[in-house]
Amino acid sequence: MSMTMLTVFQIIGVSAAYFGVTLALPWILLGGKFAQLRTAARFMACFVTGNFFCMNLVFLLQLLHISNRFTLVAGTLAPFIAVAVRRRQACLSALEKGLRSLRVVSEGEMGVKTLMLRTGRRMRKMSSGWLGEWLSSRWPDVLLTLGILGMLLYIYGVNAVNVYGYCSSDMVLHNYWINYMDQNRIFVDGVYPFGFHCIIYYLHEVFSVPVYVLLRVFALPQTLMIHMALFAFLKLVCKSRYTPYVGLTAYIMWGILYQYTYYRYYAPLPQEYGMMFVLPAVYFAIAFLQKKDILSGDGKKKKTAKDARLLLLLFAASVSLTLTVHFYDTIMAGLLCGGIAVGFCFRCFRWRYLRRLVLAGVTGILIAVLPMAAAYAMGTPLQGSLHWGMNMISAGGEDKEDSGENAQKEENKSPGKTEAGVSWKSLGTKLDHVLGEMQYYVTNDSRAAAEFMLGSVGVLLALGMLWYILRRPDYGAVLVSVGVFMGIASILQASAKLGLPQLMEVSRYSVYIGYGLPIVWSLCADAAVYLLFRERKGIHIGGLVMLGAACAVVLLTGLRKPVCISAYESNGAVTCVTNILRENPKGATWTICSSNDERQMIWGEGYHYEMIQFLRNLQKIGEGVSVTIPTDTVYFFIEKVPLLYLDYMNTIRPEKKVSLKGAATELPKSGGILPYIEEERWVTMSHMYYWARAFQELYPNEMEVYYETDEFICYRVRQNGYNLYDFAIDYGYNK
Amino acid sequence: MISRRKFFSITLLMVTVLFLCMCLNNLKDSWNDYAVNKYTETAENYPSKINMYIPGGSEEDSVRQEGAAGATAGETVIARRKVVCVGDEEELCMKAAEEWAAYTKRDIAKRPSLAALGDEGTAAEMLVIDPACVDWESDREIGLLTECVEAGTHLVFCGLPDVSVIKGDAQVRELLGIRKVLEEETNVSGFYLGEGFLLGGETIYLEKESPDADTFLPGSEAFPGERTFPWYLPASGTKVYMRGIPEGAAVKTENYPIVMWRKSFGTAYVFAVNGSFMEGMEGMGILSAMSAEMYSYEIYPVLNARNILLTGYPSLADENAEEMERLYSRSVKQVFQELLWPGISTILEKYGYKATCMMTPQYDYSDDELPDGKQLEYYLKIFNEHFAEVGLSGLCVSDTSAGEKLREDYRFFQDVLGGYDMVSFYAGEMPEEEIEGALQEEMLASARTVIREGPEAEIIGFLTDHVTVQRVLGDGLEYTYKNDFLIRSMATALGYSSMSFDMSRVAYPDEEGDAWEQLSRALGTTVATYGEEYGAFNSTTASECDLRIRQLLALDYSDSRTDDVIRLQVEGVTGPVWFVLRTHNEAIREMEGGSWEELERDAYLLEVTEKEVTLRLGPADERFYE
Repeated sequence: MSMTMLTVFQIIGVSAAYFGVTLALPWILLGGKFAQLRTAARFMACFVTGNFFCMNLVFLLQLLHISNRFTLVAGTLAPFIAVAVRRRQACLSALEKGLRSLRVVSEGEMGVKTLMLRTGRRMRKMSSGWLGEWLSSRWPDVLLTLGILGMLLYIYGVNAVNVYGYCSSDMVLHNYWINYMDQNRIFVDGVYPFGFHCIIYYLHEVFSVPVYVLLRVFALPQTLMIHMALFAFLKLVCKSRYTPYVGLTAYIMWGILYQYTYYRYYAPLPQEYGMMFVLPAVYFAIAFLQKKDILSGDGKKKKTAKDARLLLLLFAASVSLTLTVHFYDTIMAGLLCGGIAVGFCFRCFRWRYLRRLVLAGVTGILIAVLPMAAAYAMGTPLQGSLHWGMNMISAGGEDKEDSGENAQKEENKSPGKTEAGVSWKSLGTKLDHVLGEMQYYVTNDSRAAAEFMLGSVGVLLALGMLWYILRRPDYGAVLVSVGVFMGIASILQASAKLGLPQLMEVSRYSVYIGYGLPIVWSLCADAAVYLLFRERKGIHIGGLVMLGAACAVVLLTGLRKPVCISAYESNGAVTCVTNILRENPKGATWTICSSNDERQMIWGEGYHYEMIQFLRNLQKIGEGVSVTIPTDTVYFFIEKVPLLYLDYMNTIRPEKKVSLKGAATELPKSGGILPYIEEERWVTMSHMYYWARAFQELYPNEMEVYYETDEFICYRVRQNGYNLYDFAIDYGYNK
Repeated sequence: MISRRKFFSITLLMVTVLFLCMCLNNLKDSWNDYAVNKYTETAENYPSKINMYIPGGSEEDSVRQEGAAGATAGETVIARRKVVCVGDEEELCMKAAEEWAAYTKRDIAKRPSLAALGDEGTAAEMLVIDPACVDWESDREIGLLTECVEAGTHLVFCGLPDVSVIKGDAQVRELLGIRKVLEEETNVSGFYLGEGFLLGGETIYLEKESPDADTFLPGSEAFPGERTFPWYLPASGTKVYMRGIPEGAAVKTENYPIVMWRKSFGTAYVFAVNGSFMEGMEGMGILSAMSAEMYSYEIYPVLNARNILLTGYPSLADENAEEMERLYSRSVKQVFQELLWPGISTILEKYGYKATCMMTPQYDYSDDELPDGKQLEYYLKIFNEHFAEVGLSGLCVSDTSAGEKLREDYRFFQDVLGGYDMVSFYAGEMPEEEIEGALQEEMLASARTVIREGPEAEIIGFLTDHVTVQRVLGDGLEYTYKNDFLIRSMATALGYSSMSFDMSRVAYPDEEGDAWEQLSRALGTTVATYGEEYGAFNSTTASECDLRIRQLLALDYSDSRTDDVIRLQVEGVTGPVWFVLRTHNEAIREMEGGSWEELERDAYLLEVTEKEVTLRLGPADERFYE
């Protein structure tokens, strides 16, 4: 089977598991509770509750050190069992009915053919009945949604099925953290928001999917979910049925956005995973504020109060999830709440709303903080990046680590824009800075695009104000809220230039601004259409026209093309790891000697030998040192064209091949990952390649080529404990 | 009152039962042509000594050549290879090398010392060197050996020079792949033999500790080599095939003293043996295994024969009655018929063995007990049914000469059957002259093969122009490590094993251990062990094996390889012949001109039925995901 096909199957399997747990199970259990919500809101409510439950279940079991497949499955089924016990009569009768049907078939009262016929009829009735009815009015929506899914799969799926390695440098670290959860050692490297890790661990443990497979393929279902959350949000806030597609289409397919606004979607990263909970938090807050007469009373008012409570609960859960997954998402959710406070200022500051909202928000934060606080109280220190984040916020200074992701653009940055010391006292200058940073970080270095983006935020604010005037305050408030958030985000993007405190690494703002822009565009289009048609039927036609216009603009100004990220591990290496894990039976011992990535991927299955350590040991051959690896099989992973291994995500293809010149260069002396980065990696791989060639000359029958491509080669040596090979040979460059 | 219809049915049923019980047996008896030896064929119809292939001794093209004349691009043609033996011809290791070269159709040259080698060393495929014939103090001789290695000639040292030489000379250590002399002498409690060298997989010969070990493995203390030898540590670039297991020392396994290894120089290998493992016919197997290590593949002819010989079974006279009555409460005839045969036939059938029963009408020709003709008929019938061959044993317990015994036997067979053609003759450790005399007797007029025992006998070959000889490799009732090592070696070199089970020990027990209860356990263990390990080789009788010996000795072959296709050409024989193909991480995908069976990883048994054979190889294990 080709690795591509395997990856496709893995994506399908992982997606089914993930959507099953976070969407289908909550839908089955809580469908009735969410019945009063609109479909999009119900969708949001389901995946929020699904994620909330899974993450907190894992937290609880991990902190109690009893997490394993059995407890996780039992914990997952517990709510269902509780419901079944509470409604035992109904459940028993349903069970009885089922058993009766089974008996009828098993005892031959009804033949299998009759059963199939009846089932077929029932399904036909269902499809021509409520399904047909449901589809008859929604088929354009269904087609457009499928179109959106198709576009997403096209843009992000190409990378997912063609690039097998991790697409982000810190995936190895996440892999390491998740690996230790197998031993109930959560927060192994310090206290950190572990929500994303909990989900990956849950899928790994319950469905027996190896962690490295999840981390390889999870980016696609995660990205789908992020976009579906955006889509659901737009569906809920837009008046026209089709204007949500305007922003979404532009976001997915328009080429005006700078690559780093969406590159991180190519890897399953916690920050991006948390993004899917930001908009639900915003929506549930907005929906709550749109409820009037929330104080309990009789009849309808009582129902309103119940709905409001549900919305607050979901708001609290969403806020909690943002913090549980990544605190950048909480910051953004907080900024959005600030926008809502401005937009809904006429209602938000009323005590009965404010009190409840604040209480829900604080509760959400407390729930998120609780596991981390518990671990901290038990003596686990904070993880290093949390210290860094806190220092960043408290220092409010420039991001000293922002030398990577945007390095490619650095040389194009015009001197006028980089000189922050110029006079920015005037508003015009400040605006110029904001536009400059927007141009640099969010657009493909296009001033016009930056002006268009910032202009659309201004238009949104203006339209929001207009709708206040036109006595549609709830609608206008949504526009203003989003507009205010985007305005603040744009200013924060330029915070370094404006001397404002910096809340996060500066390049990360662009990811959120990029995510916010489709909302701005959709709402602008929606507000304009709404202005023209109000509540009349034409609003949908107007939305469709807008969508057509947006598509035309996207087509005329440049489509985005799917890219393949330059992964941090070659396709050959991942193929070999997959084969090695598959073909080595339990109990067989094997070692992979490679640069560091495979170490975490093969956790618990095989051994790993650091390539640089191996080469350094070979340097001691003059001292009579022998190098043996005491496992049955040893694999050597060597890149003939070494990866660039840049710190930031990129699509740069490596071209420099291993050479004698590289082998003749002294081995890197630096520690950690440094011997595997850029030029140093080329030197390390060159040494390794020429060692392998020399070893193969001595052992032509024993050093076999296990797998080879133009860029990568894997050698295999089989041995046994009595007759270990001494790998320390003179390969010409180690004396 | 029974109805006529029921009466008819009952009668029909009874007739059917009667037919099944009586007639079938009678029919079987009447169709059993036991009086005719189905293995009989005059030896002249088979390849004889005159047909035996003798390498031409070509002095040129003696090594593996790439792109030789007539070869297509990328084709590796295996020209006639040449082995040069440097040492005393009478040394056992040299004899083994000579025999191995003959069986693998290699040219051979013999030189008494390294000084007499001249330029021949650099042109040969390999030098098999007796270390006693090398002047280790001479830089010129060490230089000559280094030159040979650099020219691509593999060196095989049948032993090592004295430890003091190795300790004192870095050049010698470098040549032999020794990093360090850890101890000048060490005692080992056993040996570890790695997988992929000799056929039969990895094994450990370990000193017995368990008190009941003797019961299950009687006599297993006999080791294949000395247990005291210098402790060397291998240098870089070496591969170790066999190690000693030091006595009571807490040492890492990879530092155990080395016994058999190779040092790679990139151009050629130097193989070294620390001990006397090659001093005997075991050397043939070791040379085969070394040869397989030298190249990406190795193909060589084998016998493909596994023999089980029940010597002195059956005996047809009622002898040693008192002892038999004491031990078994039966006569010897009853013991053989009722105790031995059911047990033997069951276990042989379970492991697919064919037995060759080396009959002796009497053990003692000096007493008055005469053989029973009816017993002879009985045994011939059941042996015929079980595809066992009946041969004649030339041994007896009385002082009767072989000639007299054979004449006595001839009279008996004439009386009972009017004559019987014996194809195989078991001579035990009988001297060659006596065997030749025996072969002149009328009883052995049809004999084609003689089975011998003892270290002096050659493994296979021609005793006379038309009679072959085959050596028994071991006593199946006395398992020893040494014997096991020999069997592995022979399986590797010739695909041959031959175990004898001396059944006269049952009739004339010397000690308590000779009771059938103990002997049957030893027989069962041996048959099960080798039946499983070498199950892929054909089970043959002595005369079937004889035919294969004739074919092997007569054939000539050549092979070449282009990419993943091996072409094998066989000459000099008709009918099927067998080869062993040894590879390195490659497996046979297709074969034209014959069939193949996997013996173990990277070792295949080929049955060649046509003159030209094509084999396509592929990786032994393919990746699940590409």
